[in-house]
Amino acid sequence: MANVQDEAVTRLDSAVSEVFETMLARSCDPLDGEVDTVEGRIVARIQFTGAVDGECLLYASQATASVTAEALLGTPSEPHDPMVADAIGELCNMIAGGWKSKLASPDSNCTISTPAVTRDGFEGYQARFTTRFSRNYSFQGNVFGVVLAF
Amino acid sequence: MRALIIDDSAVMRKVIERALGQAGLDLSEVLQASNGEEALQTLRDNPGGANALGLILSDINMPVMDGLQFLEARKQQNLAPGVPVVMITTEGNETFVMRAIAAGAQGYICKPFTAEQVKARVLPLLRAAV
Repeated sequence: MANVQDEAVTRLDSAVSEVFETMLARSCDPLDGEVDTVEGRIVARIQFTGAVDGECLLYASQATASVTAEALLGTPSEPHDPMVADAIGELCNMIAGGWKSKLASPDSNCTISTPAVTRDGFEGYQARFTTRFSRNYSFQGNVFGVVLAF
Repeated sequence: MRALIIDDSAVMRKVIERALGQAGLDLSEVLQASNGEEALQTLRDNPGGANALGLILSDINMPVMDGLQFLEARKQQNLAPGVPVVMITTEGNETFVMRAIAAGAQGYICKPFTAEQVKARVLPLLRAAV
């Protein structure tokens, strides 16, 4: 199981880095340590079904979400602008899609959901998934977390 | 040239429009739709002629009507038949690519993407369509 998780973590790091460098022109690096719970955070969720059954959650503080949306759009965003939630959902979508494509064989049949985004709370990943891990990442001092369960 | 961008994310529609500009495309207007059903209506509302659409870029994974269903419906209804369609999506596995090509897509771009990648996929299609 450790090898499966190590491989999944390596590929997640690669997917996150690729999304940030390509779409936001920012470098983004993994941080050591546990996921912190941030008040007022925004959470995006993508679900995998098929050859990979699981989910990917991305969460950030409102401030980090705004900075991320600004970097993606190239224009300033207010914390409660609907575009901020949209941007965090798309970021989660691209990271989950990148992770899935790196993990699965090219012809495996796995689909990903459209992103669901909430500011109201975090239900947590489903207990039925046997492999779960969380990673923190930082770009220009802005920290966000990704949880993968499958 | 007019282009139609289909994506359920308003953020991605903006990012794609910006990438088209960075790729050097001279766009007179960019129409937007948030799913395949809206896109079909846009095509019905914008028939051919001097002001016809020149390019369609579509996501696959969308609510209401996804990108593959849009391609099938467009073919069945013979809407904008000569307009090149490029899929822009995170669903980059071979199964989805083959389904999209079979349904009428001419190109494929995986998210995340650069403006250079957009240019490399789109410009040859536009030259071929002239």
